[in-house]
Amino acid sequence: MKPNLPPVLILAVALPILAGCASSRMLDLRAVAPVQGDVQAGARKIELCSACHGKNGSSPVPAFANIGGQKIDYLYWELVEYQRGANPDSPMTAILRSLNVSDQDLRDLSAYYAAQAPAPSSGDPAAFAQGQMLYRQGDPARGIVPCQGCHGTAADGRVDGDASRYLAYPALRGQHEQYLARRLTEFRDKTETLMSSNDHIMHGVAHNLDDEAIRQLAGWLQAATP
Amino acid sequence: MTTALRSSLLPLLTAVSLWLASASAQAQQSRDALARTLPSSTLTGEEVQASRTRLLAAPGFARARVAGNPQAPDAHAIGEGSCIACHQLEADHFTHTLHALGLHAANKADASIPVCETCHGPGSAHAQSPQTPGLIIGFTKASGTPVEVQTRTCLACHKGGPRDHWSGSVHQRNDLSCSDCHNPMANFSAEGLLAKASINDTCAQCHKDIRIQFNRRSHMPLPEGQMSCVDCHNPHGSITSPLLKTNTVNETCYQCHAEKRGPFLFEHAPVRESCLNCHTPHGSNQNTLLVAPIPFLCQQCHTGQRHPNDLHTAQSLATGAHPDERVMGRGCLTCHANIHGSNAPSGPRFHE
Amino acid sequence: MHAQRRSTLLCRLPLALALAAILPAHADSGIGVDTWRANKLDPTAGAQQYTPDARGTSWLIAGQRRSPTGNPYMCPAEPPALDEFGSWIGYGVLQVGAIATSGDDRNALWMRYADWDSGPILGLLDYTWQRPSDGTYANVRASRISADDQYYQAVFGRAGAYKIQAFLRDQPNVVSANARSIWNGIGSDRLTLPAPLVPAGSSVADVAAVSAAAGERTLSVKRSKQGLGFNMFLSPRWTAYANLSDEQRKGARPYGGAFFFNFPFPANGGALETVKPIDDHTLNLNGGLRYAGSIWRMDFSYSGSFYRDRYTRYTFQMPYALWAVVPGSAAAPLTTGQMAMEPDNDYHNLKATLTRTLPLNGEISLTASAGRMSQDDTLIAPIDCTGVFGIGLGGNLNPGPANPFLYRCSDWNTPAALSRRSADMRIDTSLLDARISLQPSSDISLRGGLRFNRDDYRNGYLAYNPLTGDYGYIAENGSQGSIVPGEVGLFNPITAPSNITRVRSLPLDLQTIDANLGADWKLDTKNTLGATFAFNRYEPTHRERRRIDDNSLKLTWINRSLDWLTLRANYTWKKSNGDRYEFDPYEFTYSIDLPGYVPPAGGTPSHTVEAMRKYDMSSRDGHKIDVMATIMPREDMSLSASLRGDWNSYDAPIGRQDYQTSSATLQWDWQPRDGTNISAYAAWDRSQLRLSNVQDQQNGAGVDPYLGGPNYALSGQWWLRDKQRNFYGGATLDHRIGRVRIDASWNYTNARGLDLYTYAGSSALAYPASVTGTGPGGGQFPAMTYRVNALTIGVTLPLAERLSLRVFDYYERGRVSDWHYLGFDAARVIDHRVYTDGGPISYNANLVGVLLNVQL
Repeated sequence: MKPNLPPVLILAVALPILAGCASSRMLDLRAVAPVQGDVQAGARKIELCSACHGKNGSSPVPAFANIGGQKIDYLYWELVEYQRGANPDSPMTAILRSLNVSDQDLRDLSAYYAAQAPAPSSGDPAAFAQGQMLYRQGDPARGIVPCQGCHGTAADGRVDGDASRYLAYPALRGQHEQYLARRLTEFRDKTETLMSSNDHIMHGVAHNLDDEAIRQLAGWLQAATP
Repeated sequence: MTTALRSSLLPLLTAVSLWLASASAQAQQSRDALARTLPSSTLTGEEVQASRTRLLAAPGFARARVAGNPQAPDAHAIGEGSCIACHQLEADHFTHTLHALGLHAANKADASIPVCETCHGPGSAHAQSPQTPGLIIGFTKASGTPVEVQTRTCLACHKGGPRDHWSGSVHQRNDLSCSDCHNPMANFSAEGLLAKASINDTCAQCHKDIRIQFNRRSHMPLPEGQMSCVDCHNPHGSITSPLLKTNTVNETCYQCHAEKRGPFLFEHAPVRESCLNCHTPHGSNQNTLLVAPIPFLCQQCHTGQRHPNDLHTAQSLATGAHPDERVMGRGCLTCHANIHGSNAPSGPRFHE
Repeated sequence: MHAQRRSTLLCRLPLALALAAILPAHADSGIGVDTWRANKLDPTAGAQQYTPDARGTSWLIAGQRRSPTGNPYMCPAEPPALDEFGSWIGYGVLQVGAIATSGDDRNALWMRYADWDSGPILGLLDYTWQRPSDGTYANVRASRISADDQYYQAVFGRAGAYKIQAFLRDQPNVVSANARSIWNGIGSDRLTLPAPLVPAGSSVADVAAVSAAAGERTLSVKRSKQGLGFNMFLSPRWTAYANLSDEQRKGARPYGGAFFFNFPFPANGGALETVKPIDDHTLNLNGGLRYAGSIWRMDFSYSGSFYRDRYTRYTFQMPYALWAVVPGSAAAPLTTGQMAMEPDNDYHNLKATLTRTLPLNGEISLTASAGRMSQDDTLIAPIDCTGVFGIGLGGNLNPGPANPFLYRCSDWNTPAALSRRSADMRIDTSLLDARISLQPSSDISLRGGLRFNRDDYRNGYLAYNPLTGDYGYIAENGSQGSIVPGEVGLFNPITAPSNITRVRSLPLDLQTIDANLGADWKLDTKNTLGATFAFNRYEPTHRERRRIDDNSLKLTWINRSLDWLTLRANYTWKKSNGDRYEFDPYEFTYSIDLPGYVPPAGGTPSHTVEAMRKYDMSSRDGHKIDVMATIMPREDMSLSASLRGDWNSYDAPIGRQDYQTSSATLQWDWQPRDGTNISAYAAWDRSQLRLSNVQDQQNGAGVDPYLGGPNYALSGQWWLRDKQRNFYGGATLDHRIGRVRIDASWNYTNARGLDLYTYAGSSALAYPASVTGTGPGGGQFPAMTYRVNALTIGVTLPLAERLSLRVFDYYERGRVSDWHYLGFDAARVIDHRVYTDGGPISYNANLVGVLLNVQL
C-alpha cells in the first residue's frame, strides 16, 4: 500500500504563501549595526530641522530636544521611529511622514547633528541633589534604578565595555529639562507610543518614577556639567 | 481503573476544558493588566502581618535570603521592583514559574524575603554598572560568575535529597552548572524548569551520541516520550556509576522489569551479575537490545560440548540448505526460552 | 492444574487503593521511575508547542544567552493569557483533533510504542491554576491517542510547602504485528491446537497449513500504571515524600517451547515458538525523610516492589509425535509442554545517607543500604503428562523393570515429585558507601570513595524426587528422554549412576569493593585538569574466578580558554585481571558431585573447553577516550561535537576477544531570530566484537578439555567478527512568520551489521558437508540492515485570538532486514520447527493530523 503523501505536498505549497504574512510594529534595536552618515550631505539637508533644533543642534525652545552632539545611532533610530508613526501627536511624526525623506537623509542628518558640539549645561545642579542621587544610585525603595548604568556616569551616553545595544542609548547631559520631563512622562504613561525595544526598556524604568522624581532628574540633567 | 472509566475520562476532560475556554473568554486579562497585578517588593506592614501566618506554612521559601556574591561584596539588595524596571520582559516570563509563585508569595508575607536577588545576589552594583560582568550572579556563559558560585547559589535552597551527591559527581567535576540543564527564568519544559523542552532533549545537549542510539531498531520508549533518561540516571550525582539511581545496574532495570528480579530457582549467572552482559540499554541493531546477534551472543561463553559450539553459516537459515533452529528466529532462545532464569523444577537449562 | 496464582500480599486493586490512601508519585531524580509522561505525538508533553515569544527574552539583549557550557537557551514562550477566578488565576491549552493513518499502519516497527489509531484524539489538555497570594497551585495534564496510549495526571501543591500528584497512564508495546499462531488461546495460560491438528499426532503439512491459514495478528503488551505521590516540607530543613504506583501488564509475546532438537534428526523433536501470556502487576512504593541543614544532611528511604503474576506457568500443546533413536523402540506420546512464568517476588530496600560538611570546604557522606529480594512461589511439577513418557523398548509402552527408559507420569506430574513445594529463594543485599570531598583551596579539589556491596543468597534447591529416589529433572518436557534413551535428565545412584545432570541451584553470592581517589586542579581560570584512580574488586562465588580486579585511571581536561569553545576531554586506561581461571566451577551443581556417581566408561566428559574465558570473568585491557566540544562560531549559532572510543581486548583464546565501540556526532543549532530555530545533526557510530569458539570432535564424550587436544582440536576452532556501523542524520526547522508557525523535522537512521566468520577447518562447522573442501575458510551472513526516514511537517495557523489550528503530517519509511527471519514470509513451519513471529518487516506509513488548539 502506498501512503498518502499529498498532505506533505499541500503544506509545502502553502508555506511560501503563509510566509508573506509576517509583519511587526516593534523596532528591534537590540542588535543593530552602527549607523553611518555623511556629515557634509547632512549639512545641506538641515534647513527644516534647524528651524526648531538650531543649526548646531541647540534648540532655543525648551520643549524641543537639544540634538547637537547626540549619538548618531540614537538620532537615526529616533527619526526612524517618527517616520514609522511612533508618536502620532508629535510634530516630528507629521513632518517626517509628510515629507519625502529617504533613509539616507535620516542617516546624513543624524551624522550632521552628532558632529556638532553639545549644548552647554544650564542651571544649578545643586538645586537638584535628589536628581543626582537618583541618576547615580537610584532609589531601591521606589524601584528606581540608577540611570547611569545605561546613560553613563557622565550622562554622555558612554559606558565602558560598549555593546552594540548601547549605541542607541542617548546622551542626556545638557538636555532641556522640559523636554526630558515630557519624554519620561510619555515613557511612563503613553504606552501606545512605545515602538522600539529601547522604548520598552524606558517604559519599565519610568514606570516607577513619580512626577517629582522626573522633575528632579530632568533638572539635574539639564544642569549637569561634565 | 477499568477501560470504561478511562475512556469516559476523555469526554469529561474535554467538557471541562471547553467550559474553561468559555469562562476565559470573559475574564481574559491583557498582559499589561497582568503586569499591574504583579506583586511589588514594597508592601505595607499590615499586609506583611496578615500574610505571615500563611508564610509559615510554606517553609520552602521561608529561608530565602539574598544570595552572597563574592564578586560584589559591597552591593546591597535593591528589590524586585528595581530589577523589573529594566528586566520587564524577563519578569513577564519568569512570573509563571514555580519559583516565582513561591517567592512572590513569600515576599508578600515577609518583605525581607527577596525575589530576584534570592538567586542573583544583591543588585545595587549591577544596577549602577550593568555591563560589568560578575556584579550580579549570572548563570550564563558570559555572566562572569564562576560555575562554583552558580551551583552554590542554587544549592543554598536545593542541597540534599536527590542532589546529595552532587559534590564529586561526574557532572560537578566536569564544571557543569545547574543552569547547563535548568533554566528557571521561564517554563521551557512541561516540568522540571529545564533548559530544553524535555529531560531527554536536555541530556542530548551533550549526550547526543547516546540519544541517537535510541533511534536504533530496538530501543526503550524514550524517543516516544514514554520514559526519560532520569528514570534510570540521576544527573545530580549518585553513589552508583554511571549516575544510576539505584544501588546496582540490575536494580535499576528491575524498577520496570520487576518480573526479572526473582531470585529464580535456577539462575543464569551473567544475568544476575549484570543485565548489561547481554543488553545494551540505549539501543541496539539487534532485537531486544542485544549486544550481538544470537547465536553469537551466546557463543561468546557457551563452548560446551555437543550443540552449542558449532559454527553456523547462512545455510542454517530458513532459506538455506539445512535450516537449523539454533540460528533461525529466536535462535538459542527458542528452546532456552526462560533465559533470565527459570522457576520450573525442570528448568535448569531454561527450557521450561 | 492451571489454577491462577493467588496473590498473598495483595488482592490487586482494592488493597492498592487502600494503601494509596495512607501512602499518597512525583518525579524525583533521586528515586523511582515515572519521571516523565508524554507520548510520540509530543514527547515533550506540550513544551515543543509553546509559542516562542517574538519579543525575545529581554529588551536589553538580542537573541539568547548561552548556558555556562555554551549551549544556547531557548526563546521563552509567550506568557499565557490568564483568567481570574477569585483569588486564583488560571491558564492552559486544549488540543483536540483527529489523526488518520495510512500505508502499512499496522506494522510493528511503526506501532512499536505509539498506538496510532485513526480517529479523534485529545492531543493535550494542560491547565494550571495558581493562587499568587499563598503560592498554591494545581495542574491537570492529559493526552489520549488511543485506549492503549494515554495519560492523565493531576498535581496539587503549594510552592515551598507540599505537592500531591496522581497519574494514570497506558503505554503500548507492540512486539509483533505479523504473528501467525498455530495455537488457540493467545494471551491465556493454555495454548491449544485447533482442529484438524492433534497433539502428538499432526503432520508437518497439517501444521504448516494451519500456520499459513492463521491470520497475521498483533502481539503486544500494554502497561497500565496508576500512581500517587506526595512530598512536603515538614520544616525548612526536613522534607518527607512517599510514592505509590501499581502497574499492570497485559498482553502476549512470542516465546519459546522446547521438545528437543530437530536438526540432527528430521521429523523429530520440536522447536516451538509459543506465545507467552503477560498478565501481571507490580506494586511499587517508596518513601523517605530528608534533612538538609547547614552542617548535616540526612536521607532515609524505603523502596519496596511487589511483583504478582496471574499465572505460575502456561502450557502449550505439542503438535508432533516424536520417535526414539533406538530401532524398534517406541517414544511415548507427549502432548503438552509447559513454561514457568516468572515467580511473584517481593523487594524491600532501606537506605540511609548521612552527610556532614567538613573544614576545607569538604564533605563526607556515608550511605548504608540493606535490601532483600525474595520469592516463595509454588513450584510446578517437573512435567505435565499423563500415562508414561520416555522410550518403550521393543515398542512396549508398559512401565516396569523391563523398560528402564520408560517413566510413569504419575511419579513426576505432581508437586509430590519435588524435594519441596515452593521455591523459597532469597537474596539479601547490603551496601556501605563512604565518600569524601575536600577543596583545600579554590584551585584544588580532592575526593575519595570506598564502597562495599554484597549479595547473599539464602537457601538452595536440590532437584530430588522422593517418590522415585531420582535426582535431576525432566528435560525439555520429557522429549529428550523420549528420543534418546537415558537422556531424560535423571541421575540415580543405583539405576543411572553415570548420568550427568543438573541437581542443584546455583547460588551466586558476591561481594564487591570499590575504591577511588581523585583530584581536580584548576590550572587557571580556563583550564581544569583531573585524575581519578579507581579500583574495583569483584568477588563472585561459584564462578570461574573468585576474584577479579578492575583498575582504571581517568584523566580529564576541561578547557575554556577560547571564548567560542568549551572543550571537555578525558582518557581512561583500564586493566582487569584476577586470580586463577577455573574453567568448570559448576561441577557441584551436577550429579557428578553426588555420592554414588560413577564416571562413564570413557571418563567424565569435560564441561567445556579449558581455554574458554567468559568475558565477564576474563582479564582485559582497555582504553577509552571521550571528547566533547561546544563551539560557538557566531552569537546565534552553536556546534556540538563529540568523539568517543572504547577499546577493550580480552585475554581469551576462546571467548570474546575484542570489543570496540566508537562514535562521532556533530550537531548544529541556529537561532537566527527569536521564534526561529534551525538545527541539523549527523552522527556515525560503529562497534566491532570478535570472538572465537571451538567445535568439539568427540560427539559430546570428550574428556580432554584442552584446546588442541583430541576433542577440542585446533581444526575445530572458528572466529566471528560482528561489525555494526550506523549513520544518523536529521534536521529540524521551527519558524514563525507573524502568528503562523511552521515546523518540520527529519530523522534518518541507517544501520548495517555484518557477521563475518573464519574457521580453521570444516570440522568447526555445524554442517561441514555444506562447504566444499576441508581447509580453512570463511564467509559471512547476509547484512542485517535497518534504514528509517522519518519526516514531520506541520503548520499552525491562527484562527482567532486564542484559537489556532495545527495541521501536520508524519511520514515514516523503514527498510529492515534481519537474517534470523529470512524465509519466514514463505513459511513459518519448517519440519518440527514452528515459528510464530515473522520478524521485522519494512514499511511505509503516514499519519496526518489536525489539532484545534485552544488557549484556555
